[in-house]
Amino acid sequence: MAILELNQVKKSFGTDHKKVDALKETNFQANKGELIAVIGPSGSGKSTFLTIAGGLQTPSSGDIIINNQNLTALNEKKRSKIRLKEIGFILQSSNLIPFLTVDMQMKLLDKVKKGNMTKEELEQLYEDLGISDLRSKYPVDLSGGERQRAAIAKALYSNPSIILADEPTASLDSDRAYEVMELLKNETKNKNTTTIVVTHDIRLIGYCDKVYNMTDGVLTLEKEKQAVE
Amino acid sequence: MFLAWNEIKKNKLRFTLITGVLMLVSYLVFFLSGLATGLESLNRESVDKWEATAIILTEESDKSLPQSSMILDEVNGVDAKESAVIGQINAIAASGDQKNNVSIFGIEKDEFIMPNVTEGKEFSNTNEVIASDSLKEDGFKLGDNLQLSSTEERLTIVGFTDEARFNGAPVLYGDLSTFHRVKYGEAAELNADQINGIVVRTDDLSSVTQNDALEVSEIETFIRNLPGYTEQNLTLNFMIYFLFAISSVIVAIFLYVLTVQKISMFGVMKAQGISNRYLSQSVIAQTFILAAIGVTVGFVLTLISGAFLPSAVPVSFDLAIMILYGLILIIVAILGAVFSVLTIVKIDPLKAIGG
Ligand SMILES: Nc1ncnc2c1ncn2[C@@H]1O[C@H](COP(=O)(O)OP(=O)(O)O)[C@@H](O)[C@H]1O
Ligand SMILES: [Mg+2]
Repeated sequence: MAILELNQVKKSFGTDHKKVDALKETNFQANKGELIAVIGPSGSGKSTFLTIAGGLQTPSSGDIIINNQNLTALNEKKRSKIRLKEIGFILQSSNLIPFLTVDMQMKLLDKVKKGNMTKEELEQLYEDLGISDLRSKYPVDLSGGERQRAAIAKALYSNPSIILADEPTASLDSDRAYEVMELLKNETKNKNTTTIVVTHDIRLIGYCDKVYNMTDGVLTLEKEKQAVE
Repeated sequence: MFLAWNEIKKNKLRFTLITGVLMLVSYLVFFLSGLATGLESLNRESVDKWEATAIILTEESDKSLPQSSMILDEVNGVDAKESAVIGQINAIAASGDQKNNVSIFGIEKDEFIMPNVTEGKEFSNTNEVIASDSLKEDGFKLGDNLQLSSTEERLTIVGFTDEARFNGAPVLYGDLSTFHRVKYGEAAELNADQINGIVVRTDDLSSVTQNDALEVSEIETFIRNLPGYTEQNLTLNFMIYFLFAISSVIVAIFLYVLTVQKISMFGVMKAQGISNRYLSQSVIAQTFILAAIGVTVGFVLTLISGAFLPSAVPVSFDLAIMILYGLILIIVAILGAVFSVLTIVKIDPLKAIGG
């Protein structure tokens, strides 16, 4: 079942001869339980695609439908609510708040949104991410990899139906990068969520169910894993 | 509150600095307001103590008590619930080495402006006076024989009263004949019907007098026309209002700088779907916490240092005014946070995330 749909979505920046078509007409669907990779060179439109899919910017034309809600018609305030409810962002640089401990980062989400993880689920998540011992540390006291894992915990904590990750492994070494992909895969499968990972690291695509390629704003399906199980 | 408070806890130094600045500003505001109140009472406390409605002076005197001059008989034409005649003259009183500006009030003992006696006794003979107890701090005491600057007459302090300063000078209350002797010397008998004004208590100001040469001024108007009074108040109040503006601007700049530093953090939170409202409330809450702490500490410090001030400093604290000014300081600080709120609202989460 499609949780995220982009119908005839286009995005261009600027006007006339300075116009950049960052995203050419795109149709895209993501289903529950899918881990999807979008690869492509820098400047090809991957981030544009991801941020439009996540309701962070509006397309020049076309519709985005998240969990049966058409985002196109909504204002920023309503889109913001949908982001809070449905989407977990994992960013290139960690999205942690410098003056909150790892635990407090989660607590902040409790303050603004209901229906997050239970204590036990959070314990399990910390365990899975290997950050149980880091919960009372501040971001400055964490290494790059630890920070990224805490950021992932934060994205997953609110039980989003869609996880959007923009180069989540860019600041990590290969081993850590593989671990993170493994983790995203497990989360996606166990919780039946949808994860889209933007990366230019083709070594990571082995974890994914579908791999798309982005070239000059054109998104094409490259490879689809056959359902084995 | 959660964000606001945790940020303060984590960044104690920078928030202590801004709280310190707010504390100093509020200290200054409280102190100036104390000075304003103190100087006000210095000018008006004796008049306030009369609990009068109005004062009748000559039209020509332009609401100045020393410049007004009328005869005792005028009181018969006055229609008021209560009236009290008053003669007034300024002098320098000396007792031994002590010299002080004084304002001498000549009154009728049985009229309502007769002061209560806190020490000693009432005057009963000519040249006996009840003195303002503020003179005690300058070394004057019961039984002192006062030499006056403008006359050979000598006055004896037979009693003290409280709250008796007029236009910056302690008051000596004596009867009318004392006043006449001080003012006219040899010619006192000839001028025995001279007074400066009539103080009245009434419900109807319009019918107090029919005499066109006399003018009835409400007490508040009379006080505002005391030499220097309005100017002094305006100056001090201007400084206080200016400090309100300054603290608002300081808070605005400080918070704005902090907010600009945190733009990407706010952007990330907004990308996550945390509302403008939550973030704005957090900044407001933070400002409130900082301002409330700063103002409270400033308030306490003012009271403490007030207790150690030499009595020559005319500071007196009016708690109601201080609390009002404290609240205003907190409110203007919060107004200063509005800039930051506007900045936060304008942050584009997309930019914060960066492609
Ligand atoms: N806000 C913007 N204004 C103008 N051009 C933009 C903007 N965002 C992206 N672009 C352009 O769109 C193209 C795609 O950018 P982006 O989606 O960031 O690529 P990628 O993430 O694959 O590196 C680039 O040419 C970029 O310069
Ligand atoms: Mg990008």
